[in-house]
Amino acid sequence: MNIDTKRRDLLAGGAMAGAVAGMAWTPRAGAQTPKAAPFTIVINNSPWFDGFRKTVEDYEKETGNKVNLDVNPFGGSLEKQRASVRAKDGMFDLLIMNGLYYQEMYHGGFLTPINDIDPKFRLDPQMIAYDNTVFWDEATKTHDPKGKLMSVPVNGNIPLLLYRADLYEQNKLQVPKTWDELLANAKKLHNPPRMYGIVQRGARGAPNDVSYDWWPYLYSFNGSLFRDEAKGDFTVTINSKEAKAALDFYIRMAKEAGHPQTGGLAQAQIIQNMVTGRAAHALLVIAAWSQMDDPTKSAVVGKVNAACVPGSATGKPAPVLGHWLGGIPKNVPKPRQEAALTFLAWFQSRNAQMNYLKAGSPPVRQDVLSDQELWKDPKNRWMPAMAESSQYVRLMWSVPEGAQIGDILELRLNQAVIGELTSDKALNMIADETHTIMQRAGYKTGRIAPL
Amino acid sequence: MTAAATMHDGRWRVIALTPVTAIFLAMSVLPVLNLMAMSVHDIGWSGGRSVWTSAGAVHYQRLAEDTLLHAGIWNTLVFSVVAVAIQIVLGFFLAWAVSRIDRGRVLYRTIFILPILVPGILIGAIWKLMLNFDFGLANAILEVFGAEPRDWLGTRALALPSVILVDIWHWTPFCFLLLLAGFESMPQDVLEAARVDGAGIWGELRHVLVPMMMPVIVVTFLFRFVSSLKVFDEIYLLTGGGPGSATEVVSYTIYRTFFTQDRMGYGSAMSIAVLFGITLAIALTLGASRRHGARP
Repeated sequence: MNIDTKRRDLLAGGAMAGAVAGMAWTPRAGAQTPKAAPFTIVINNSPWFDGFRKTVEDYEKETGNKVNLDVNPFGGSLEKQRASVRAKDGMFDLLIMNGLYYQEMYHGGFLTPINDIDPKFRLDPQMIAYDNTVFWDEATKTHDPKGKLMSVPVNGNIPLLLYRADLYEQNKLQVPKTWDELLANAKKLHNPPRMYGIVQRGARGAPNDVSYDWWPYLYSFNGSLFRDEAKGDFTVTINSKEAKAALDFYIRMAKEAGHPQTGGLAQAQIIQNMVTGRAAHALLVIAAWSQMDDPTKSAVVGKVNAACVPGSATGKPAPVLGHWLGGIPKNVPKPRQEAALTFLAWFQSRNAQMNYLKAGSPPVRQDVLSDQELWKDPKNRWMPAMAESSQYVRLMWSVPEGAQIGDILELRLNQAVIGELTSDKALNMIADETHTIMQRAGYKTGRIAPL
Repeated sequence: MTAAATMHDGRWRVIALTPVTAIFLAMSVLPVLNLMAMSVHDIGWSGGRSVWTSAGAVHYQRLAEDTLLHAGIWNTLVFSVVAVAIQIVLGFFLAWAVSRIDRGRVLYRTIFILPILVPGILIGAIWKLMLNFDFGLANAILEVFGAEPRDWLGTRALALPSVILVDIWHWTPFCFLLLLAGFESMPQDVLEAARVDGAGIWGELRHVLVPMMMPVIVVTFLFRFVSSLKVFDEIYLLTGGGPGSATEVVSYTIYRTFFTQDRMGYGSAMSIAVLFGITLAIALTLGASRRHGARP
């Protein structure tokens, strides 16, 4: 495997292309994986990347096929993907797209439907479809499962509630099911600056911190960004009473049991506080789990446990998707498309997913995630929480304007967290600005009365 | 020289300069023209192709309503004026001090220019760690003196000053180098005459050194001011424009509009407006410096 963080060899696939172009092959999980052209994956360097890299190495050893990895920061990966798919000839053969921006690849028509590459390919029934985000109906612009298969899940990143199990035991606390219970537990353990009851991602992120951290509160308080996206009603409802209750609670949590500088904390600082033993709770993506038990990075090895994020007194838990999907662009040669699909077919097999788990990344197959034999291993003690969460996962938005809306959310929510704006004003501003974006983009939209 | 020779010389100059002029036009004017074309369009994507829709002057009109851009312009001006002014003053005194010593000048010069040799990404990492609220060196020092820790990068009052501090650390050596070259090329006989006439150290500084160094100071200021208006890496690495809009700067706003939000039409309009603003600022600065007799 060649990990290229600067450039890739444009001709990498070309040399092998002719040799394999005429080969008939059928990628099926468990079947003999055929020889394929070298191809390039463009990917972000997130906390789960190391597990993915090891799994790619397994693939190369097992099949003899060659994979190049182009590794980038989160934002850099998106920029490279955009540049590649908009060019006449694409550089990257497999795009690892985040749940917050894959929409623009679907809407923009940049991806090849998987079955256009191989009509026989089927998403394994055990693969989690993540709110059906792998499917796309071009006519209705929705994630209708009857639509075309556009991508294959690569990582099921969702937030879990990480908590200090040792402190829970000492203080005889129960794992919280609601935000009120979480606040009560956090207050009990709050002893700053030695220990913060909870650390929250309140920073204005690039691209997403505070909005991603707050969204589970929003949904579980029965708030939403739009009235009914699935039915095409994009009336902006982010300044509802429910949303205000969710934001007020989030800020209250920070004030009463949180870090004194919540408005400056991004994901890296949250992880830092957890692994140094200075935080009792955090909502963290499961990808960060491996660092909790890594003795070279963590002072709390074996002391952290995971649970499904809480719900409100009136609403279900709502872990939001920050998952990753693998999509194949239209503008790359067919042999490289086939090579990318060969890899995805192998990747969705149970064996590959078991290796993926061993390498430290959460699997995307339900039968692996729910395998209770695996749960017995203390290293996998996060798996029950992940399996439970999978039934509640929700998407933040499905529109390609998400990047613009996300920027507004990050600014205004951060201003609310640091006290620069009241929650009413912040939400009204988000609503106004989001409505303008949706109106200009031609959606059926509207506004509710301001707070 | 005869008239024919002068004409021949003139033609030769035109011929010699034509390739360079063509390259200059291709490399700088064409991208600006393309930017101008983009700024009057909305650019979307459908079926894997770009779709350009005429937007007239709408994007330019929106600039007037964009509160984040306004915050960015204000912060950029504050950042540039404060940071560059301090860098010039510090650089001037450092250069003056080094120019007065006979032994070890090379050593001091080497030490003082070290920060500009460090890559921006490392500077971001170093200062982000040093200014970290929970584990940073700055708060560890405060703790030694019994003071409360500060969130240097996460509070509105401190974030911009902290970024300015990093920029001063990073770029004062640049001012130092240019000003040192000015001191070293200064005619010694004028200084000696001033000393013979009884000028003290401050008199020499005020009445001889500063007036004589003014052209170098103006050039240094211009170089630094223009490059500071383009500040990006320190903001990107240290604060991401936050908290709120406390450290939002124009280049970061344009970056997010272009690359994060993917609004190429509006981002182009921002770029054109900023380009115009910077050109105007340079013209005004040059005009002012000429009025005061300093000719860079």
